[in-house]
Amino acid sequence: MLEKLESMRSDSLAEILSAGSPEQLQEVRQKWMGKKGLLTEVLKELGKLTAEERKTVGRLANEVKEAITAAIDRRQETILEEASAFSGEIDLTRPGTAVPAGGLHPITQMAYDLNDIFRSLNFEVYAENEITSELYGFDHLNFPPEHPARESMDTYWIAGTDEKRGAERLALRPHLTGASVRYLQQHGAPARFVYPGRVYRNEATDARHERAFFQYEALIVDRDFSFASGQLLVKSILEKVFGREVDVRMRAGFFPFVEPGFEIDMKCLVCGGTGCKVCKQVGWIEVMPGGSPHPNVLKAAGLDPAVWSGFYINIGLDRLVMMRYGVDDVRLFHSADLRFLGQFR
Amino acid sequence: MKVSLNWIREYVDLPADLTMERLAFDLTMRTVEVEGYENLSEGLKNIVTGRITEVSPHPQADRLRVVLADVGLPAPEQIVCGGSNLEVGQMVVVARPGAKVRWHGEGEPVEIKASKLRGVASAGMICASSEIGLADLFPSGDDHEIMDLAGIACRPGQNLAEVLGLDDEILEIDNKSLTNRPDLWGHYGIARELSAIYGCTLRPLPICTVDAKLPACPVEIANDDLCRRYAAVAYAGLVNVPSPLWLKVALTKVGMRPINNLVDITNYVMLAVGQPTHGFDRTHVKGEIRVRTANEGEVLELLDGRKLVLGPKNLVIADRENPLGLAGIMGGRQDSILPDTTEIVLEIANFSPTCIRHTTQAFGLRTEASIRFEKHVDTQRVDQALGLAAKLFADIVPGSRITAFTDLNLRPTVPPVVAVTLSFLSTRLGSPVTASDVEKSLNPLGFQVEADGGLLRVATPSWRGTGDVSLPDDILEEVARMIGYENFSYRAPVITLEKPVNQRPVQLDRNLREYLAFRCGFQEVFTYPWVEDRFHEAAGFRPEELLAISTPPSPENSRLRASLVPGMLETLVTNLRYFGSFKVFEVTQVFRPGAMSPSVPEEVLPLQEKHLAGAMAGSDAGALFFEAKGVIASMARFCQMGPLSFARMLEPVWAEKKVWLNVMAAGEVIGSLGLLSLKTMKAAGIKNTQAVVFEINLEKLSPLPSRTNGFRHLPLFPLVEQDLSMLLDEAVKWSEIEALVGPMVREVEYVEEYRGKQIPAGKRSLMLRVRLGSEEGTLTSEQIEAQMQSVMKKLNRQFGAEIRGV
Ligand SMILES: [Zn+2]
Repeated sequence: MLEKLESMRSDSLAEILSAGSPEQLQEVRQKWMGKKGLLTEVLKELGKLTAEERKTVGRLANEVKEAITAAIDRRQETILEEASAFSGEIDLTRPGTAVPAGGLHPITQMAYDLNDIFRSLNFEVYAENEITSELYGFDHLNFPPEHPARESMDTYWIAGTDEKRGAERLALRPHLTGASVRYLQQHGAPARFVYPGRVYRNEATDARHERAFFQYEALIVDRDFSFASGQLLVKSILEKVFGREVDVRMRAGFFPFVEPGFEIDMKCLVCGGTGCKVCKQVGWIEVMPGGSPHPNVLKAAGLDPAVWSGFYINIGLDRLVMMRYGVDDVRLFHSADLRFLGQFR
Repeated sequence: MKVSLNWIREYVDLPADLTMERLAFDLTMRTVEVEGYENLSEGLKNIVTGRITEVSPHPQADRLRVVLADVGLPAPEQIVCGGSNLEVGQMVVVARPGAKVRWHGEGEPVEIKASKLRGVASAGMICASSEIGLADLFPSGDDHEIMDLAGIACRPGQNLAEVLGLDDEILEIDNKSLTNRPDLWGHYGIARELSAIYGCTLRPLPICTVDAKLPACPVEIANDDLCRRYAAVAYAGLVNVPSPLWLKVALTKVGMRPINNLVDITNYVMLAVGQPTHGFDRTHVKGEIRVRTANEGEVLELLDGRKLVLGPKNLVIADRENPLGLAGIMGGRQDSILPDTTEIVLEIANFSPTCIRHTTQAFGLRTEASIRFEKHVDTQRVDQALGLAAKLFADIVPGSRITAFTDLNLRPTVPPVVAVTLSFLSTRLGSPVTASDVEKSLNPLGFQVEADGGLLRVATPSWRGTGDVSLPDDILEEVARMIGYENFSYRAPVITLEKPVNQRPVQLDRNLREYLAFRCGFQEVFTYPWVEDRFHEAAGFRPEELLAISTPPSPENSRLRASLVPGMLETLVTNLRYFGSFKVFEVTQVFRPGAMSPSVPEEVLPLQEKHLAGAMAGSDAGALFFEAKGVIASMARFCQMGPLSFARMLEPVWAEKKVWLNVMAAGEVIGSLGLLSLKTMKAAGIKNTQAVVFEINLEKLSPLPSRTNGFRHLPLFPLVEQDLSMLLDEAVKWSEIEALVGPMVREVEYVEEYRGKQIPAGKRSLMLRVRLGSEEGTLTSEQIEAQMQSVMKKLNRQFGAEIRGV
């Protein structure tokens, strides 16, 4: 009996070790430990033995039983560790499945980046209609009556109105600045708002010039706003856009609707100011004009220039996007060409 | 505008250690944008004077000569040359190895190397003037004529740039930045700015003192608003010859071609002080000079040969009989300075900028003179020009003398006195300034400052007094730029927060774009507001009913879109060249004739509304259509706005008759979606594809006041899902099925439909999914069975649905 148990132990353990799958292991378990398993049968015969025999045989039988159970558990873990959840071969270098292809236009992306910055500074976002009048496009903005920008060589006048004047002469807006007067007339001062949008110029197009392009204008009107503050505003905005410190300089510039007016330059990010093709060897890139609203503009907006002052900045969105990505042809923005637009996700 | 640094140095001594880089920076920061600068001697490196010591024939070539030339080296250099005018003793220009020349004055510069020409060694090249860019200074008869330095003081081996005075820095100034500064359109004005920037003295210009006993040179001014001042100086004893070298060089360097001594003097005066002048041959002037408007139809032939038919808006300089010139723009061909001129009337006058601008625009004529007058020159500038011209005639034309003189100064420029307070300046600058700071900044520019406590009275100089400076803000700018914008420290603005910004319509616009781009996989595009007529027509618009631009980018692109669909059609065409299936959208304004007044009643604008349009291309029309429908159906929930629904009310012209729907909001049609009809695709040139387009008027959407999508409790007991497939007549629509089943179950959902084999004609197989559940407990299989039975029975009774499986 004892011998039989010993040989059962070695046989069963060998079978357990050779079981290669959970199914085979289950078979082995059934064979030895099942209701009619070989070991079970032996245990049933224990009753026929003497008390003395039962003591020794019983102890050994239990030992064998525990050994088999333990071996099965161990084998089970080994099999699980060695088994694969994936049958067959796999090429892990294959590309992942493509996500849906949509995206925002790079100009919109830039405008949203700027919106986020300005909204964190409590600016409102405002929009004006694209067709405006000479009254808002020029007269309110201190453009002299004979200013060349009012000519049809420069501005897209709406057919049938180009011989009229002022409120009756309509155009695709030549710049965004007219919107500032509309907003101030509606909301008064103090005011902080941005008004991004598309503007139009009648000009020949090439890689750097477009008839339709995007601007982003911001205006603060407050009591006693100094342009030392304006300069800081410009710097913080550009640093947000480009994600690093930028050098900014303001220099004298002339635009009818500001006094004083500035050209705002940024140190070229491509060459760091030493001069390269992007900055035309100058080291600086003109990024935006700006300045304090001209007293005549404030008057047109119904504000007293003795009380109110402020700061405009006008960002050329196309140019900024071109700088951000190194785009070399402004006409691509209106191309609706997915080979181009698909690159800005 | 080109500015010569040597010319500037005539008027001001710049600091000795001033680099060009610094000068360009300071001028850019304080005054005008310097676009670049260039030393003219750069292009003339290794180009020297040489004296020909021997000329002999070339053994291999008839047209070439072998020349020995003294170029300042111990021994003469041997040079092979094809020049037709070579002579021993002649002073010529030698390009030595390393020099750059343009062969025959054309193409890119080529570097000279010591070489052999047809077997004979040549240590350089004897140059024609065109080959080194000096054709204007040294005009030559033909290509083979080499440049002759006869009459020019020099010895062999000198740098040519030095000999000719071309060793000079030329600054290129951005004209745009000069627009409002009539004082800067001459070297003297730039010199004044530099003297102010560097604190060095500006030398005065010569003054003209005319003998009071001289006879008058009669002038009549018809309208003193159009001609504010007219000085006429008669010069006699003249001879028309080429100018001295220095004058020719001075003009050439800043881009003006030398003509003859008399014309060159007038041009030099203009480039020096910014005051245009003109000379008329006095023997051609019959009677007095009349400054008047032209008669209707009066004809004038200009110096450049153009014949103009003038009218009463054009100002002319005439004599008793005929116009002699177009005032302030260009002289006439017959009566200006001629080869045999010995007497002139020199005109130094001041004309209305508006009148000049009008005439230049009417005839497309812009000249150096008109550009300056347009900027509004002050009348006092005439005095500067009188003085400088008198000195030049005396210096350059020996024997010349003034024989008659008249100066009608009818409307002198009265420069304003601007009152400004120190507190205004300090506040706006962001740092305190004193009266003496202001004086220090402004005096060198010609302003006079009178302080009275905190109030300053600033007298503007005449050259800044024609509109440029008139307000306290203008004084602020002058002070700020002279201090230097780079010297202001940053100062954080003080901002009071009254209320948080919450602009739902703005947020909705962004939500929509981000929903389409990021959730639905559409690419945003921008197209022009003007669209080719054929796309308008393809989208069902009659071009003649649309708004148009009076001077459009091109004749076929003159109409403005009333819908975004034409642009979508064009975008489909653009991209079908490269892609088989894609999805695009655009959000922007469209325009229709009509009337609205967003700001003031007197301003009446056409109707302008913001639309959203999308287009999808692919091969499966049904799939595209239902994808678009799904995009619109989920829009309201994802974008936080009032609900949308669908109906068939107004058929879009561009859509396939069977496959379109209107988009509805609050009972109103606000847009459409549909499959493009074959006719539309043909008209737009869209081939080999299926395309679905949708358009929605965004003005009609109502943004929710906040994220207020509702919340529903989770079911207490699990729902049971059952699929049901059935055969249905085509006449039975999903909406009917949904309306019937919906109230009987917790949820009902469309799964799929099938037509084709095994399905009888006129029928479709439809599969739907329902979810059942109860608030009282988990449903038993009997309860489920009973509910499904009643659904099936009802479907069968109502629609004759033949249930194929559960
Ligand atoms: Zn650079």
